[in-house]
Amino acid sequence: MKINYKKIIRNVFGITALSFLCISCDGEVDLNPLTEQTPNNTLNTADGFVSFAARVYAGFAVSGQQGPAGNPDISGIDEGFSNYLRQFWKHQELTSDEALIAWNDGTIHDLNNHVWDAANEFVRAMYDRIFFQIALSNEFIRQASDDRLAAFNDADLFRLKAEVRFLRALSYWHAIDFYGSVPFVTDEQEAGAFLPEQGSRAEIFNFIIDELNAIESEMAPARQNQYGRADQGAVWMLKTKLYLNAEVYIGQARYTEALTELNKVIGAGYTLHNNYDELFMADNDINGAQNEVIYTVPFDGLATQGFGGMTFLIHAPVGGNQNPSNFGINGGWFGLRTFPQFVSLFDDISGNTDDRANFFTDGQTLEIEDAFNFANGYLIEKFTNLTSTGQPGKDAGGDFGDADFPMFRLADAYLMYAEAVLRGGSGGDLNTALGFVNELRQRAYGNNNGNITAGELTLDFILDERARELHWEGHRRTDLIRFGVFTSRVWPFKGEVPEGRPSEAFRVLHPIPSTDLIANPNLTQNPGY
Amino acid sequence: MRTFYLKLMVFIFMPLGLMAQNSVTGTVTENATGGPLPGVNVVVKNTTKGTTTDFDGKYLLSGLNSGDVLVFSYVGFNAREITYTGQTTIDVVMEEAANQLNEVVLVGYGSSTKKDLTGAVETVTSKDFNGGNIASPEQLLAGKTAGLQVIPPSGAPGSGASIRIRGGTSSLSAGNDPLIVVDGVPLDQTGRGALNYINSNDIESFTVLKDASAASIYGSRATAGVILITTKSGNAKAPLKFNYNAYVSFAEIEDKVDVLSADEFRNVVNQFGTPAQIALLGTESIDWQEQIYETAFTNNHNLTVSKGFDNSSLRASFGYMNQEGTLKKSYFERISGNIKYIHRLFDDKLKVEANVRGALVNDEFSNQGAIGAALRFDPTKPIRSGNDDFGGFFEWTNPDGSQNTIAARNPLGLIELTDNSANTQRSTGNLKVDYDIPYVPGLKITANGGYDYTEVDGTNFVLPEAAATTTQGNVNQSKSINRSRLFDTYLNYVKEFPALKSKIDATAGYSFQRFFRSGNSVNVRGDGITERPVPFRTQNALESFFGRVNYSYDDRYLVSANIRSDKSSRLNPDDRTQAFGGVSVAWNLNNETFLKDSKVISQLKLRGGYAETGQQEIGQDFGFLPRFTFGDDRVRFQFGDQFITTIRPEEFDANLKWETSQTWNIGLDFGFFNNRISGAIDLYWREVDDLLNFISVPAGTNLSNALITNVGSLENNGVEFTLNATPITNDNFTWNANFNISFFDDEITKLTLTDNPNFQGNPVGGIAGGVGNTIQINTVGFGQNAFFVFKQAFDAAGNPIEGVFEDINGDGQITPEDRRRFKSPNPDFTLGFSSDFTYKKWDGSFTFRGSFGNYVYNNVDAASGNRREIFVSGALTNVSDSFLETGFEQQQLFSDFFVQDASFLKLDNINLGYNFGDILDGLAQLRVFSTVQNVFTITDYDGLDPEVPGGIDNNFFPRSRTFLFGVDVNF
Repeated sequence: MKINYKKIIRNVFGITALSFLCISCDGEVDLNPLTEQTPNNTLNTADGFVSFAARVYAGFAVSGQQGPAGNPDISGIDEGFSNYLRQFWKHQELTSDEALIAWNDGTIHDLNNHVWDAANEFVRAMYDRIFFQIALSNEFIRQASDDRLAAFNDADLFRLKAEVRFLRALSYWHAIDFYGSVPFVTDEQEAGAFLPEQGSRAEIFNFIIDELNAIESEMAPARQNQYGRADQGAVWMLKTKLYLNAEVYIGQARYTEALTELNKVIGAGYTLHNNYDELFMADNDINGAQNEVIYTVPFDGLATQGFGGMTFLIHAPVGGNQNPSNFGINGGWFGLRTFPQFVSLFDDISGNTDDRANFFTDGQTLEIEDAFNFANGYLIEKFTNLTSTGQPGKDAGGDFGDADFPMFRLADAYLMYAEAVLRGGSGGDLNTALGFVNELRQRAYGNNNGNITAGELTLDFILDERARELHWEGHRRTDLIRFGVFTSRVWPFKGEVPEGRPSEAFRVLHPIPSTDLIANPNLTQNPGY
Repeated sequence: MRTFYLKLMVFIFMPLGLMAQNSVTGTVTENATGGPLPGVNVVVKNTTKGTTTDFDGKYLLSGLNSGDVLVFSYVGFNAREITYTGQTTIDVVMEEAANQLNEVVLVGYGSSTKKDLTGAVETVTSKDFNGGNIASPEQLLAGKTAGLQVIPPSGAPGSGASIRIRGGTSSLSAGNDPLIVVDGVPLDQTGRGALNYINSNDIESFTVLKDASAASIYGSRATAGVILITTKSGNAKAPLKFNYNAYVSFAEIEDKVDVLSADEFRNVVNQFGTPAQIALLGTESIDWQEQIYETAFTNNHNLTVSKGFDNSSLRASFGYMNQEGTLKKSYFERISGNIKYIHRLFDDKLKVEANVRGALVNDEFSNQGAIGAALRFDPTKPIRSGNDDFGGFFEWTNPDGSQNTIAARNPLGLIELTDNSANTQRSTGNLKVDYDIPYVPGLKITANGGYDYTEVDGTNFVLPEAAATTTQGNVNQSKSINRSRLFDTYLNYVKEFPALKSKIDATAGYSFQRFFRSGNSVNVRGDGITERPVPFRTQNALESFFGRVNYSYDDRYLVSANIRSDKSSRLNPDDRTQAFGGVSVAWNLNNETFLKDSKVISQLKLRGGYAETGQQEIGQDFGFLPRFTFGDDRVRFQFGDQFITTIRPEEFDANLKWETSQTWNIGLDFGFFNNRISGAIDLYWREVDDLLNFISVPAGTNLSNALITNVGSLENNGVEFTLNATPITNDNFTWNANFNISFFDDEITKLTLTDNPNFQGNPVGGIAGGVGNTIQINTVGFGQNAFFVFKQAFDAAGNPIEGVFEDINGDGQITPEDRRRFKSPNPDFTLGFSSDFTYKKWDGSFTFRGSFGNYVYNNVDAASGNRREIFVSGALTNVSDSFLETGFEQQQLFSDFFVQDASFLKLDNINLGYNFGDILDGLAQLRVFSTVQNVFTITDYDGLDPEVPGGIDNNFFPRSRTFLFGVDVNF
């Protein structure tokens, strides 16, 4: 038998043809993300941690990684709705006598009507947003171990870590304020699949206080940090909020501790801005308002966009006979108005005596016959995208606002001071309290005509004055609860009747959303739901 | 080479010392026409020895031994077997396979014959395709097979249909699109109209692997079914042939949405409006829908050239399609080319097949926002305002003259001042080599390399004066690239054991496919601001080993088993490999002695199978990894005077895995009277576990509030019945009919990790009306996407009472708990009825398609059929004319009044053709044809069209009725 070369050649040819095709076959299945980054290649620089910390801060301002929307942080609700500040605002204000909304979005009217239940998507969105923020903070704190930060030789990173702990404490405060006893997750637990235990309201209250005490010395001194970042002033204010509401949260009066913190705030050099309206304008980071603001959520018409937060606050209250250009925006959203109960807190609603009576009444009725009709209820002109010189904000399209949201400001500290004194706390006195209150009223009136006497300085007055000074700034629900009137006071459609009626006492707590009760069998629902 | 081959044969067979060998020639002809049949395979049974007939139907086969059995086979014809006893000439007449039992059927990585099949597999060839103005070829199949729904696309030109095999309810969130494989290359199906780059004229057949035991060779991609597309090829030894096929068509929308006419609108505003609102009324009478739609013309040309050589064949085609949409400025233009070249070497032992197809598509999308705007825009307002604002189009303004951004925009302004287009370049192709391995008869190795490349360049240009933006217009440019490459190789071994009456057909192979996708865009606003979202790039890969064994005994008992092990980059490295597979059996009763001679029963086959398959479209490529994403420039955060770009850690599930399903199928194929009547009935039951579900995570535990994870189960079951009949066939007249009906049922059996009877379900189905409202729900114990609504109460006259619903839970008040699950968009059954006939030189066909028990949420009526909608936001807005019927003051979004029976029967198309036969002294053959598409719809549904995606009817681009005229010339 002789060797058949032709056959060999033929086989070689066939196999070559096959191997030619095989060039494309590298069999690589262990692939890495291309756009997304792994922890190893993002947190290997100090800038990586700064970017991460900025994201935790931005948790209050933006709704995701694409502006204004497109890559949301949380789901189950429209991305614009999901914004932290928008939810926080709605739950503080729409559940109160300060605001109602005309839209027909899901179960939004259940907030106005005091009939929300555990399936309400807004109740869930607030809760999920809070716990997103907590999880984000936990992840940062976990990643930013002291060893790891030390390698960058950058003291500011340690400060940022303390600030993130402040932000986590802030969100836990919101959590216990709205929901009472909530899942308790810290940086000790790795992200993944586990079932957190429910921490009692008191347990988490103490955790927040401990955290704030622990970081206080690591934070920048009051008014010394970069704009937009929290400092010791913010820590003191948050502690005050907890102590002032401690009777609600843990059944103990802690007004003396509140005054201790307030004295630090008041002594830190913050000053009331001379113009109330400018506190809420597009340039409130530079027009002088910043000297009054203790902790702010900055927005920017170009760099910090979204459909929640400031965009919501400058568009939703505009409509009817108002001209959008008077607010530096491209159009109103015909949504927010207020109830007659709030309007009645002002003797003169024109704004000519009290500057804070910022109503728009043309084409609007005082009374609410139809909650869905934007023409029912006076409009409030507070937040605007115009600067103090009347120029529109940076976004020439008129969509996104520049004004920063003052979460804590000195006026609030003054009123809390007066309240803590009136409630029997030591470390403050009535005269000083009266002086603080009258400072606010002098700014509002432009003269001394609005000054009150010591006899007029009562707790009832404080509650009303807080509404006049701080309305629509996200305080009202907590205030009404602390004063014990959240469920008993009546405004239209509360309890789903046109004239309104008291709601059930258990509504001082929101329900734990049913989604989390299902996901986490360790949780117990709040009573009444 | 031939002599060499002969020598080789001698060489191989010499040791066997067999008797003298001879050669035979002959001509193969077609029974019906008597004409020669080129390309017929002539092989010696149980060997790889063989040839094919030439253009004249002639063949020569040498080296035969007496006793050899020659097998003559050709697709679509009954195979003939003739024993060689020393004849010098064997002429063979082939009969077209009425029963098509020997028809070759693709099964994925190989082929089988109809009679050897054990699973539910159905093939539709070009002769049965739907006619009409079809840009995306899946529509060729609509109504043609049981268990396959092809839901035609909207009227948007060039858009693709959605394909659902067996109800399309096998997954809640991982997708129900079947895997589509073109000439062996699984496509990247992520883009718009995944198939619209393929010219329908180039498709030879679709094979639908309905049954999981058939599809399971595709493992983790098989649960939603598999569709194999074969493109046309040329014949060997065929003369140069040209075919020119062209049509023109015109189309008009079938119907308009019923909204108030200008006069009705005026009456309503005068009746209910305040003086200020009445003063907003205009004096015109405009039907805005009439303004935005127009007659749409299409022309389509295909030129095909084919030529067969001794050892090779070539088919090349060129197509040009220019399809207008009925919405003004909508347009689809496609230039397509397709080349298939097949070369056989070494006496057919080596076969090389190359396919390249490509298309350039120009899309003009128009501004589809105009569709909704045309329903809402005040019909008393003029088209043009008479001034220059907003490009001269009338728009609603605020008291200060600025645009009212909440009001509807002028529909024509939206269209005329926007230019939204895209250029798509797409090409797929493959090179496939089959090689018969020497010394081992029946053993063949195949290697197939393929690619799929798509590049889309989009531009959305909005003029500065347009009311569509408040940013003085914008230019948005986007670019995306999707590409994938494939390599398959497999061995196939076929061996008959005549003594044991047994046959084995075994396949084993390897496959690797890698996908890459990227996209980025930039938006330059008229006010000078440039916006750049973070570009994305991602990749994934799938590596697989697969095998299949078919065993048949005496053509009576058949067993087939598949296995596939898939390894996916999308899963955790520790458990990214999983095996899938299936087993099926069949019993050809007609080959049993008691039926073999039956004059009535020509086919009776009982089939049964079980398979486990997967669904790997899990939405994200790296859902199992901890990772960070960058925020774009518009979500930076201010630290001091700087804006810091952010990074966000992403939620992840380290244990992410495939959805897996188990499917049982039993079926019966039957044929009577030499298959003049034939059909099949199939019953299936499927359970899907580890559903990829987007669920809430325990608060605080992961980096979002919900993520995709494996939890939940569901069940599908159904019955499919197909009947084909040829009631009449004679010299002048042939009539074929096909009827198919499919029944579906689905139930979600689990949705949460721990059983929780209080869990209401996952809301789905976002609607218009408010923001974030949903109308459907997925609940354990119910079918998918059930509508979740209140039960409307009616007055004595039968009119709905606004805001009054039945107290379903009987607690004395109407709360959200009184919502109930009511019907769903999923039909109880669908049917198709098609028929074709030829009478002398005439031919004709039609296709009916029906769907029953499917409901639609009439979102147009629900959101806009109320009075409040008219007066919202400082402008006047037109509303649905259902308002005249209901008088609703405000939206009743969650009333079951708007969940309406959308059962329908549609005559999808009627075709008529006339074949002139030879013209120009036989130089050419000519056929002319005409088609009417969307002829009529019978339905009780109130809205525009009962067939809307997801069962939610809102702003639907209306389908059009199309009239088409075409010619087909061969020369």
